[in-house]
Amino acid sequence: MDPLDNLSLLAITGRTLALCTTSLILALGLGIPLGIWLGGRRFPGRRVLLGVVNSGMGAPPVVVGLLVAQLFYRSGPLGDLELWYSTQAMVTAQVLIALPLVVALVVAAVASLDEDWALQVRTLGISPLWRNWLLLREIRLGLLAAVIAALGGILSEVGAVMQTGGNLEGETRVLTTAILMYTRMGLFESAYALAAVLLGLMLTLAGLLTWVQYGEKR
Amino acid sequence: MRTRDARNISQGHAVGRRSRKVDGPGTICSGRRGLGWVAGLPGGLLGGVLAVCLGAVLAPEIRAESPSAQASPRSVLLATTTSVRDSGLLDVLLPIFSAQTGIRVQAVAVGTGAALRMGAEGNADLLLTHAPEAENALVASQAVSRRVEIMQNYFVIAGPPEDPAGVATSASAVEALARIHARELPFVSRGDDSGTHKREAALFRDAGVDPHARWPGLTRTGSGMGISLQVAGQRKAYILSDIGTFLAFRERAGLVALSHPEPDLLNVYSVLLVNPVRFPRVRAKEAGTLAAFFQSEIARETMREFGSAQFGRPLFRPLAAQLSSP
Repeated sequence: MDPLDNLSLLAITGRTLALCTTSLILALGLGIPLGIWLGGRRFPGRRVLLGVVNSGMGAPPVVVGLLVAQLFYRSGPLGDLELWYSTQAMVTAQVLIALPLVVALVVAAVASLDEDWALQVRTLGISPLWRNWLLLREIRLGLLAAVIAALGGILSEVGAVMQTGGNLEGETRVLTTAILMYTRMGLFESAYALAAVLLGLMLTLAGLLTWVQYGEKR
Repeated sequence: MRTRDARNISQGHAVGRRSRKVDGPGTICSGRRGLGWVAGLPGGLLGGVLAVCLGAVLAPEIRAESPSAQASPRSVLLATTTSVRDSGLLDVLLPIFSAQTGIRVQAVAVGTGAALRMGAEGNADLLLTHAPEAENALVASQAVSRRVEIMQNYFVIAGPPEDPAGVATSASAVEALARIHARELPFVSRGDDSGTHKREAALFRDAGVDPHARWPGLTRTGSGMGISLQVAGQRKAYILSDIGTFLAFRERAGLVALSHPEPDLLNVYSVLLVNPVRFPRVRAKEAGTLAAFFQSEIARETMREFGSAQFGRPLFRPLAAQLSSP
């Protein structure tokens, strides 16, 4: 029995990266506009929304996984989509886990902006698109924090992706679920190998982002 | 107050400027520390981003990885007990089946309890479990249309080499558990409604012990077999285990097998076909093909050999083929 060959290690790593990228793009794409909107505007019910976001930050991923899995089960409300134990179900769970992190961090970054700065930008009389670009530049450190937080949440998640993906070989098996499986099987060498790859990925990505962050600050 | 000044100034500025209209009347710093100038963003950008994101979700490379997205009828969802999955048997068997038939098997490893529940709700096409009583209940409830016994082995009572309860010299497994309980020696229970846990509960019941009761020495892990075996090893405790997981973990856990094969420890694995009449989404044809494969000569030969190379002894004994596929 050959527990983990290089080819499947590569496939699992590639799949992990593809899923993480997809989830990250989704979480950022939805979270940044939402965060800017929530952070910059005042309207009735805003506090309620902020409360939802903040409690979402602490939502146990395993609960998210449970609910999303139920959603996609054949017997669940979205059973007709035939997406049970699919990468799409996994992405859904990962986005739901990362989204509140992104929104909350962007809200915090926007809310901490100087009032005078906003005033200055407004008096420039430039198009909204350009103003938002200036805003994004201004909160770029907060954005990077949001990216790193989201990436960490997505990459290290195991419970929710196990529940929604099912760790299917060649389909939904990612680094975290494979580590769990090999540990359960008593094949610790394979688990160590996968763990090393996962750690390496996280360190590389976090390092890269930090490097970008410092480059920006210079 | 500074903020009010700021608001007044901002309104003052806005009056004479073209950009005012994009802010919209209600958005100019309507709150204490508002930054209403981002007004134009959410609507358009959010919509655009949503569209991009939906595109990303359906990106071809992701899609190619998920056969269910293609609604391919040539795949089948097998909910299996963790002990079979973790033994590695399916890693050997299923590729043979897929090569033969072109049907891809999605094997989801869950506990027997969870697998049976998935079957009861039509969330899998077929099940591979080892809890005869609960399985027959599913057949009786018509959630499952057919149950086929495919292979068997024996549970083992494992424990520390010193064997303070004298399990090795007990006349039966029931007597062994009664001794452990009477002397309140450490015992580790899965406590997770798995097939192994169900058997353990039945044995304790036969020994006159309420399986739900707590007693000194009892530890419920609520975890899989491997973790439970390691806990038992740490605590020098007794534990009921399937043979495959025990052999994989015995050295690490420092446990030895103390029981002998006997009818009470017989561990029968069955394939259950989820009823397609009751659950129309079930892929009955593919499931039937897989069930028939489990009884085929090549599958039985694989089961017979499996484990010999790694453990020096086979882990499963295939059972004679029952009635052939429907």
